Amino acid sequence: MTDSDVRIEFHESLDELRDDVIRLGAMTIETIGKGTAALLERDLLKAQQLIDGDDVIDTLAVTTEESCYRLLALQQPMARDLRFIICSLRLVTELERSADLMVNTCKAMRRIYDVTVSPSLRSLIEDMSIEAASLTRSAIDAYVSSDDSLASALDDIDDRLDDLHAEFVEAVFTSHDHDGLALRSAVQLALIGRYYERIGDHAVNMGERVTFMVTGWLPELQGVARLELKSRRGSPDA
Amino acid sequence: MTAAVVILTVLLFVTVVVLLVVMQHLGAARSELAAAPVMSPPGDADPISGSDSSLPRLVAALDALSLGVVVADANEVLGFRNRSAEAILTSHDARSIINRAIRELLVEAVRGEAGEREIELFGPPPTTYLIRAVPLLGEPAGGGGVAVVEDITERRRVDEVRRDFVSNISHELKTPVGAVGILADTLRDETDLPTIQRFSERMSNEVHRLSRTIDDLLELSRIEFADDLFIDLVPLGSIVDDALGRFAGAAEARDITLRFEGDRDLGVRGDRRQITSAISNLIDNAVKYSADGAEVVVSATVNGCTLAITVTDKGIGIPGRDLDRVFERFYRVDRARSRQTGGTGLGLAIVRHVAQNHGGDVSVRSKEGHGSVFTLSLPFDAAEQVGAPTEQISEVTT
Repeated sequence: MTDSDVRIEFHESLDELRDDVIRLGAMTIETIGKGTAALLERDLLKAQQLIDGDDVIDTLAVTTEESCYRLLALQQPMARDLRFIICSLRLVTELERSADLMVNTCKAMRRIYDVTVSPSLRSLIEDMSIEAASLTRSAIDAYVSSDDSLASALDDIDDRLDDLHAEFVEAVFTSHDHDGLALRSAVQLALIGRYYERIGDHAVNMGERVTFMVTGWLPELQGVARLELKSRRGSPDA
Repeated sequence: MTAAVVILTVLLFVTVVVLLVVMQHLGAARSELAAAPVMSPPGDADPISGSDSSLPRLVAALDALSLGVVVADANEVLGFRNRSAEAILTSHDARSIINRAIRELLVEAVRGEAGEREIELFGPPPTTYLIRAVPLLGEPAGGGGVAVVEDITERRRVDEVRRDFVSNISHELKTPVGAVGILADTLRDETDLPTIQRFSERMSNEVHRLSRTIDDLLELSRIEFADDLFIDLVPLGSIVDDALGRFAGAAEARDITLRFEGDRDLGVRGDRRQITSAISNLIDNAVKYSADGAEVVVSATVNGCTLAITVTDKGIGIPGRDLDRVFERFYRVDRARSRQTGGTGLGLAIVRHVAQNHGGDVSVRSKEGHGSVFTLSLPFDAAEQVGAPTEQISEVTT
């Protein structure tokens, strides 16, 4: 095998890795929509299918992660290729976690499946689901097209989901106070709201990793620099 | 007709597959196929048609298909894919799930196992794909496999509508009949007068419910038939008054305000009875699904050659996933609630047919917990409004 063949094989492996991450993203986004439908329709069968289907996502996550390790160990990539693999590795974890949050949502729904949820709460759940899926979709788009502008914007786009989450929690309190929503159910609903909000946070994390992949700069480095500055300023006093 | 298209497609397909495998043996890439006007070396006649130039045409024909076609060689390497398949194989969205299924089925096909898989994608929009893969055996294919990807969303939707219709109509008709039967059986041996009164009242309610369903079915059937349309220029004000009048009592009982906004003198060209029925059904729903003390607004606006009559409520709203289906006969967003509201499940189907009979359309925007806006759009001709005094029109229609 010539050097050129090795390069071609390496780049084919990177393409396969990218395709696996895209597919994992697609499966996670599907899970957000399906999980929300199971929740709103109080459909126990759909919830069970989603919970069982998470094994497929977990398996893909594990095999994709292994591909990353294999590439790192055998190809010893540098610079951009290295950042791409590291980014893919991080995205796999974020996506797998987002899918887990939808499993949590379905399990929470099963605990309150006989409870009638008010139309305004249902509407907010649907809105949060759309935002969470859209954020995850944007994170994947940014990864595929190496779009650091989109990746950096995710943090601000996520504000919409955060606002919806705050509104949802308020609406849960109102429903508890005025519509007789039991405390136990209210707590489960608040948790469900939190799960959607966390999916948004995972998408923002993915955006930061994509920014790093494209530019080599990590948003968290600002915090690191701040801490270093503080410790340097603090050292003469110490 | 459909069978003929399928047979032709399959024939076309097999032809191209055979030719492509030959071309692969010759080491020709697909890009070269598309570029070169003559595909085969001189003297190497096309085995299928005898024409050297038929291959690019067949490739173009395959590209024009809405079916996705992917061919794998004997080494399980994906070769030819038509344009539809290329869009799926290079997609970054939910179709990447299909992408993997195609590859897996093709690998099995190359190893001699034909297979098929149906994949539902939640979307939005919800889509269902059917993937079929078969091995390419013997000469001249020399091994390999071919996969066909078909978007069967519409077929599945039609199946679902048909299945739901049968189950819903039997529910709507059998439930009251069953209830009447059981109540009658119970009454036969009952001697306690208050119990007899209570049961006979329930029987009467069930019979009325059944009667309403049958009335609506007959109305829908008349409207679907559409040949007794009495088209005329009718003043909108009188139609709306008529429709609002039917629900004034029900609205007042629940302190719901019914209001009309718009030009009462606008003329609507159509069948007075049908349009009144359509607007009545929309108001009926708006009142039913509004909270006590709420407001229902009927308004009319002219936009070019369309008259839009909207009925707006701030009621419970409709979940997003049901919006596409609310105009189907007997479709229920919430079956349990429908027993309380007493609807027949046919109102919006009637509205849709009335709109279609008049060359118009009905649409809905809604959000759960925030209310709904139904818009009945009818053709509007500004020219015939001029010089058409309301009194004369009224005379014609009465």
